[in-house]
Amino acid sequence: MATYARPVERLITELSKLPSIGPKSAQRIAFHVIRGRQEDAFGLAEALREVKERIRPCRRCFNLTEAEECEICRDPRRDPSVICAVEDPYDIGSIERTGEYRGLYHVLGGALSPLDGIEPEDLRIAELVERVKVEGTQEIVVATNPNTTGEATALFIAQEVEDLPVRVTALASGLPVGGDLEYADEVTLGRAFAGRREL
Amino acid sequence: MTAYLQALRMINFRNYADETVLLSPGLNVVVGENALGKTNLLEAISFALTGSTPRTPKENEVVRWDQDFCRTEARVALEDGGRKVAVGYAPGQKKRPTVDGVPATSLTNYAAGGAGVRVINFFPDDLRIVKGAPADRREFLDALISALRPAYARAAADYARAVQQRNQLLRRIRDGFSSERTLATWDRKVVELGETVLKGRVAAVERLEPFLADSLGALYGPEKAALRYSYSAPLETYAEALREARGADIERGTTSVGPHRDNFEVSLGGVDLTTYGSQGQQRLATLALKFAARDYVRWATGEDPILLFDDVMSELDEQRREYLADYFLQSVQAVISTTNPEYFRPEVLQRSRVIRISGGPVTVSTMAGARG
Repeated sequence: MATYARPVERLITELSKLPSIGPKSAQRIAFHVIRGRQEDAFGLAEALREVKERIRPCRRCFNLTEAEECEICRDPRRDPSVICAVEDPYDIGSIERTGEYRGLYHVLGGALSPLDGIEPEDLRIAELVERVKVEGTQEIVVATNPNTTGEATALFIAQEVEDLPVRVTALASGLPVGGDLEYADEVTLGRAFAGRREL
Repeated sequence: MTAYLQALRMINFRNYADETVLLSPGLNVVVGENALGKTNLLEAISFALTGSTPRTPKENEVVRWDQDFCRTEARVALEDGGRKVAVGYAPGQKKRPTVDGVPATSLTNYAAGGAGVRVINFFPDDLRIVKGAPADRREFLDALISALRPAYARAAADYARAVQQRNQLLRRIRDGFSSERTLATWDRKVVELGETVLKGRVAAVERLEPFLADSLGALYGPEKAALRYSYSAPLETYAEALREARGADIERGTTSVGPHRDNFEVSLGGVDLTTYGSQGQQRLATLALKFAARDYVRWATGEDPILLFDDVMSELDEQRREYLADYFLQSVQAVISTTNPEYFRPEVLQRSRVIRISGGPVTVSTMAGARG
């Protein structure tokens, strides 16, 4: 059913491989590119090429970087005694934007999930344990996603460093700030209730 | 104590293309021959107020055969005015419940009273709650608790997922694809969620039992009704039992201990009705469980749920029909379907709204009071 010229079809096919882009969105984006200015399209192509050629995982924390080590790992102002373990590199951005955390990171590369065949060996858990030993880390803050697989991963990490002199903590889950209690969804509110604190 | 359904519009729902039905507080009797849509109307009410159908796990069946979406709109009367709720559903897509035009935070929250009123259903297939397998009884209990506690609904769903993960891990260990290193982790996660489910169920069964004793006493007789939750492992030894089952679980590739394997027994005068009850006893016990569920919702929320009972009169003798008619009349709202309006005495029908469903292209006519 080749409705369009072959290069157009090819572009649509490549675009529809991207996450959350269906065939209709792919078609719309393709035609946007075709209608748009040439330098914009070449800019996009060049950006795609550059990111694949120059970006690699940091050898220490597996964050994305152009150098051997990422900017955060190289920054002398960061506190090297704390490591925050996250599932994906983009989680680092979320935490950095809070401006509240000054320690280092460790990108696990996902979460344990037997259903998807993801084992500890598929994640960078051994690398994390090794770092704790070598760097003398005092605290691991596990910031995996608050779902079954994320929480199981957190429990597993705690179990793996049980015998090391390191404290393992997890992020609290609870109410969004600035919202009204009335509008909080019941599950979140229920969790916040379970994790209430002394005043 | 006064929330009830005033009006329901069904668009592409089962055999209804676009119909609106008005309802009254108190008793509503839906009258019509078989296969004209009485049950579908009751199902639509449930769908409108909870966002899902209690009749079938294959939800796409509720969409009219040549259409690709359905929608229900309901007007709920509350003490402080009214509320308009709607549920749009296109198979394969997320359902979109709205309350006064604003999207509900989640389907779980909508189902747990987000519409402003809860429902208790009775469909003929519900007989399996007493007659059928433990899974049928667990489903009844989980649905009841979930309608009151969205956090329980979430925990139960997460528990099911965690057990799936553990089962897959067991098979991978058995077949040599995984080591046992992460099993302890998944056990902890499974137990953490399973404990929430267990606690919720045990508390609900304790609360339901006296309600069941009352309602079955009224429906059946003086023999004492009892509910007993039967554990694959009780709370105190659950974690230990799961650990001890590891070897056997790996061999079988499935988790043998936990609330997903539990049961509850309904007994009358000490006799388990699932195994030894007559068809009649099982039917009355199912009804009594539904009435107990009504009392439980009333106890937990201070509000009466709407009763939606499909074809409940035909299998009962006259004395029990009269008891039920009174029960429904005294409810905040009950919608009862029947092929034969004569199951209700004329004075009962005079105090009810009778909704007639006639053949041909389906039309719904509503009138107060009875004819004939």
